[in-house]
Amino acid sequence: MSAPQPALREYLAEHDLMLFGGAPAVYHCHHFNLFLDQTIDDALGQVAGERLRFSAAREFAHDFLVTACAREGATTPVERISVAQTLFAAMGQGKLQLSVDPAGGQGRGEFLHYGYSWFEKYGTKVKRLRPADAFAAGFAAAANEVAFGLPLGSTNAVEGFCIARRDPHCAFTLTAGSPTPAGPKVGAAEIRANVRPAFTGKSEDEVVKIAAGLRDFTASVRGDHRGLVQAFGVYVTLHLSGYYNRISFDAVRHIEATTPQSVGVLEELLRESGHVCVFNTFGGILLSPEWEGMVGKLSGDPTQVVLGCAAIARALGFGHWTIADLQPGRRLVMRSPATYESAYFIARHGRAARGNDYFFQGAVLAVAQLAHRVDWKSKPKLTQEFYQSLFRGGIPWRAEQTRGIAKGDEMSEIVVSSTNST
Amino acid sequence: MGQLSLQQAVEDVPSLRAVFVTAMPDCLLYDSWVRSGEDWIPENIASYFGDLVRANREGLKGLHAWSAEMQVTIESADLLLVLRELRDFVIALAFERSAPLGMVRVHINRILARLSDLLPPLAPEERPRALLVVEFLEKYAPDPHAVMQRVALRTGISIEELRQPERLDAGQLERLEGSVKEILGLDALAM
Repeated sequence: MSAPQPALREYLAEHDLMLFGGAPAVYHCHHFNLFLDQTIDDALGQVAGERLRFSAAREFAHDFLVTACAREGATTPVERISVAQTLFAAMGQGKLQLSVDPAGGQGRGEFLHYGYSWFEKYGTKVKRLRPADAFAAGFAAAANEVAFGLPLGSTNAVEGFCIARRDPHCAFTLTAGSPTPAGPKVGAAEIRANVRPAFTGKSEDEVVKIAAGLRDFTASVRGDHRGLVQAFGVYVTLHLSGYYNRISFDAVRHIEATTPQSVGVLEELLRESGHVCVFNTFGGILLSPEWEGMVGKLSGDPTQVVLGCAAIARALGFGHWTIADLQPGRRLVMRSPATYESAYFIARHGRAARGNDYFFQGAVLAVAQLAHRVDWKSKPKLTQEFYQSLFRGGIPWRAEQTRGIAKGDEMSEIVVSSTNST
Repeated sequence: MGQLSLQQAVEDVPSLRAVFVTAMPDCLLYDSWVRSGEDWIPENIASYFGDLVRANREGLKGLHAWSAEMQVTIESADLLLVLRELRDFVIALAFERSAPLGMVRVHINRILARLSDLLPPLAPEERPRALLVVEFLEKYAPDPHAVMQRVALRTGISIEELRQPERLDAGQLERLEGSVKEILGLDALAM
């Protein structure tokens, strides 16, 4: 896995939220990225979904690149485009080449994370009719705006060719757009302002130690020649969390306003994106030789798995996940004084009416599954077939968000309990 | 036809690894025989053979090259698979890859002659289209564990209603089919 520019990466010390180049960021795998994008399109329809994903990418990449170019001392358009292309590849998003002027231009993508991983995961099963790389399109548009000192919204980008549709490469056309007012800012200051006092949980010393080791590890690895980060059986991106948050919460608000009867299924799918992410990425890390070298072999003890997952979450920038209660086979409670979702929601939307840490909800459910339904000693391969097998006969756990920072509580809390124990 | 009858029809055929009998047009497994030592699960496989033959038939018709004697032969690394239509059934015969093609043809003709006597006329079951659409989706969708939620979100039809697709009205069926086509990336559902 890659931490592309370690000097640009920092953590909020007590809260384990990550900043990259000053922008709120997290590591996420292709399972999460693809499922979340798909859910947005399911909620809004493919065209409107693409538009939202493009707009969110452009908005958060714009802020990110303004800061990054200033840090790098990039003052000319050529220098700024170079910074953007370098960072894009360093983040594990693939290779993007831009040939632009203030009015627009062309972009070419190779090994773009979304299109490439979509084709690898789904390409033999279904045909994709629409392009997959709205994030890259938004990033390209933002790069053009920042390169020429244009305000947000001045550049549009459309992906005309996409590897996910079996085109040989990805290609974008950039054209002039209309400046768009951004929503309330969600940067480092807003994130810092919207966390709660930190606390500790069970096995804290061990969790802290493992998390520190994982951070060191991620800081020393680089992406490959494709601009992709392939590790632990997944493709990893260092991603702007504002992108994830805006598309998720804007989609929820849209469904609340248009088809409120569908809010429940949307929230279920948002949780599933967290579930599939943690099962595959955390599971892949726990099964890796690197983990064995750093922590030791897994015995199959659920406690060992759960504390490992808390440490992984902290290292990936998901927040200060703590173990409040673990009764193997019966109950798992995890808490955090900060999640990347709640910090965004408060900054942009204010107080929530209900617990809405969707990723955290699905993630803790997956932690319970990893702790109890994987035979670690046999070192299983975490294949799609294995993942699907978890759902046959129903999941024997249910997750419930009992407290939420965004709704005014001092922490976000997820309770996962066995459906067999009641 | 019972398991014993099918077994009797194929037991003396060398190099044969399995036979799957798929009832058309619903692509449902009708009967099967799998050689001892193979770990194939007929219920998970048979319906795909029906779809494959149907797609092949439509393609050949488009080329004005279809005939009732049509045969699909697939040569994979360790398997020789032959698909033949027999009245209301698709017969899939899996041979060892090393079996000589000429001998395979002879064996197939002999097996089909035996099966022709054994397989009964089949009255296709009339099933609501919505049910077929849902079955088709569940068979081919990526991430099948979440696909009904995706349909619910796309169509505004509740999960509870989707659990009883035969009760959907015409408008809901149209939305259902539209969402299934989008999810699978298809222009039409070949059912």
